[in-house]
Amino acid sequence: MQTTLAALAVLTAGYILAYLLFDRLRDRYGYVGGAEYVLLGVLLGPHVTRLLDAGRVQDLTPIVSLAIGWLGLLLGTYFRLPTLALLSPDHVRIAFAEAVATFAAGLGALLLLFRYLADHTWADAAVQAVTLAAVATLSSPAAVDAFVDRARVRSALLPVLQLTARIDALIGVVAFGLILAILHRGDVAPDIRPPTATEWAVINLAVGVASGVLFHLFLGPRDGETESGGASRLFVALAGAIVIASGASYYLNLSPLYTNLVLGFILANSGAAHREVTRLLLATERPVYLALLVFAGAAWSPESVDLLFLAPAFVLVRLAARFFGGRVAGELVAPPELRTPRLARGLLAQGGLAVAMAVNYTQVRPDLNPRLILTATLLSVLLFEAVAGREGAALVESLEADAVGAGIGSSSSGTAAGVT
Amino acid sequence: MIRRLVVLALLVGGAVLLEPLRAPTEGVIAPRSLFLFGILLLTADTFGALTHDAGLPRLVGYLLAGLALGPSVTAIVPPGVLQDLAMMKRLAVGLIGLLAGAELRAADLRLRHRAIFWILTLQVLAVMAAVWAALLLTHQWVPFLVDLSTSSLVFVALLFAATLAVNSPMVTLAMLTETGARGPLARTTLGVVLVADVVVILLFTAAFSLAQGSLGGAPAGAPSSLFQLLREVLGSICAGLLVGGVVSLYLRFVRHELVVFAVVVVFATAAAAQALQFELLLSLLVAGFFVENLAPVRAQPLVETLHHMAVPVFVIFFAMAGAELDVASFASLWPVILLLAVVRGAAILGGSRAGARIGGAEPVVAREIWTGLVSQAGVALGLATIIAERLPGLGRAMQVLIVGIIAVNESVGPVLFRRGLSRAGEIIVP
Repeated sequence: MQTTLAALAVLTAGYILAYLLFDRLRDRYGYVGGAEYVLLGVLLGPHVTRLLDAGRVQDLTPIVSLAIGWLGLLLGTYFRLPTLALLSPDHVRIAFAEAVATFAAGLGALLLLFRYLADHTWADAAVQAVTLAAVATLSSPAAVDAFVDRARVRSALLPVLQLTARIDALIGVVAFGLILAILHRGDVAPDIRPPTATEWAVINLAVGVASGVLFHLFLGPRDGETESGGASRLFVALAGAIVIASGASYYLNLSPLYTNLVLGFILANSGAAHREVTRLLLATERPVYLALLVFAGAAWSPESVDLLFLAPAFVLVRLAARFFGGRVAGELVAPPELRTPRLARGLLAQGGLAVAMAVNYTQVRPDLNPRLILTATLLSVLLFEAVAGREGAALVESLEADAVGAGIGSSSSGTAAGVT
Repeated sequence: MIRRLVVLALLVGGAVLLEPLRAPTEGVIAPRSLFLFGILLLTADTFGALTHDAGLPRLVGYLLAGLALGPSVTAIVPPGVLQDLAMMKRLAVGLIGLLAGAELRAADLRLRHRAIFWILTLQVLAVMAAVWAALLLTHQWVPFLVDLSTSSLVFVALLFAATLAVNSPMVTLAMLTETGARGPLARTTLGVVLVADVVVILLFTAAFSLAQGSLGGAPAGAPSSLFQLLREVLGSICAGLLVGGVVSLYLRFVRHELVVFAVVVVFATAAAAQALQFELLLSLLVAGFFVENLAPVRAQPLVETLHHMAVPVFVIFFAMAGAELDVASFASLWPVILLLAVVRGAAILGGSRAGARIGGAEPVVAREIWTGLVSQAGVALGLATIIAERLPGLGRAMQVLIVGIIAVNESVGPVLFRRGLSRAGEIIVP
């Protein structure tokens, strides 16, 4: 009890310090990242200062499950059907093509690595490969939004990038959730038949759906509530739904990310409270995300030397898969006015979801190379975040240059292809 | 009503259905604790809405929900889970303490100091005298008091009386948050209850030292007991001032992420309180008071943040308090429990009315103040736990009786206070 309290206090104090320090850097130098929080976690963790030892990190697992679920929920609220219906079919096609191609390329390479180089069974190789392929597919919506906001021209490619980042996250989280359900680990009570793979997948989905239904039933018609009373009830309902969805997933050894993605999708597409829900989630996204990064750093342990090569190999696989996906979507699937070989350059940052996924993996599959998955993910997040800002800026500059070129051309043709 | 019953059925059904899908596991925090915490949270709020519809305070519903799901009734939330979730209760206590301290305005205290002083003094004296006398008269019917010597009986009864003199800052603040009341009755009750918290802890510690000495523990008035008294109270005040200073600096220079900051302040103080043995609630009360009244900063952003967090915090606290009630263990003592609860209530009525008249309080305050002083909750339960832990044998039995009386006061008190506020015309949110 006391250790948990102390761990939480240290964790949050460290987070606030880092927040203060790096907010200054962001304001002054335009720095957007999260790697520093991972490093802070490593510094606080059992391998450096030991302020958070392994036991204390373990104590925080339920709270971390909650944070992971919170991020999944936020992702789910992006997918509001009336808004999605307004999207250009070309944009949707490009986004899905990029996400699926990246995932498939990553999965193929990683499956071979785990099966033949690391010598795992097909089932074990599949769990690890799907997890890392999902991590590789993720691209940070926040990072994309950041450089889109800074762009001085409105290129048609920018909304494609924003949508692609979200579809990447969707594909990644769904693949990750399904593999943990299908190749489920954990015993059930002795007097019942263990659910089949399909049943676990359905249970996982059902928990998310039931939590969403519960949220709406719980909140009910909101007339008659005062404004503040309504806000409080909304908060209780939302917190309760997330706690139940995350808690049930954690209890059943499933992914809270996926369950809460389903919950978020339901909240975004039903009831009158979806705007307030999204606003509430966005307001709390940053503290949750950064606290998760600190925890991931604290939970990190070095991998044994014989498997260490897999972490840099994963970074290379991700780079290759990302550019492969970008090429497939940007050059083969895109219509002529959206065709570009540079799509992948805007999608390099991975963001908090990748860390959440890796941390979630360490909770659900502690038996199957959790340190490797976390090490590979953190290495990838750190490296790609280091270059993502520069690559994103370069992409925007090149789009601006294109727009200027098109503007010159437009004096004769009267159109500026690709610029909206 | 039907919708709420469907919610309850879904919550309870979900908890029961999912249970067998995982074999019991060992761990510092059981995997199902988080899930059951969510069930408890939503069930409590649904019960709160149902009791509100019935014209009763929401927090009575929170308590009932905790009781219904807790080990005493359905055991859907077993004792182990409650232990895992103790951290959440501690967080709730700390946040309420911080808010309560910040709600206590020095200007209000100056304006009402005479009334607060007299109401506090006379109600504490009346309760202690009445409960002490009642216990001495009825001790034949209380199994653990029968065999005590006269001197031990006198001091144990005094300790008992001191424990029952405690009011409930939690219930008071929860009711004021729920009803939006800010009038003279609300402000006077809050002032009395918060100041009483400090005074009664001092009285309790003195009574405890006397009782312990009479039972053959450390002799009454021994330096160690006095030192402990001084250390706990002064330590709480010093820690509160220190925490208040840190909060003030943060509000002055940073003022970001106040929710996270409030949570870390509570957890850090709770960790320090456990390690250094001072009182969490008292220290955060002092911290809140310092920030609001003494520090050269605007505490309003923090107070607003704490108000936003207040409702979920109250749901957590009272639902867990309800779940921790052990109905079976005090079933055999119910006649004594009811008698002592009635005697205490009558003493509060008489003492507080007399105090209000002497202190020159408004007539409505004199008439209704007693309704806000009946409730007991967290502080009293904490003192009962101290008795159980530090007086081996007799302490456990005393705890059962005290918790039984607290359960009555915790259930009846909010109903009375809501009626009092209503009759005083101070309820803003119906």
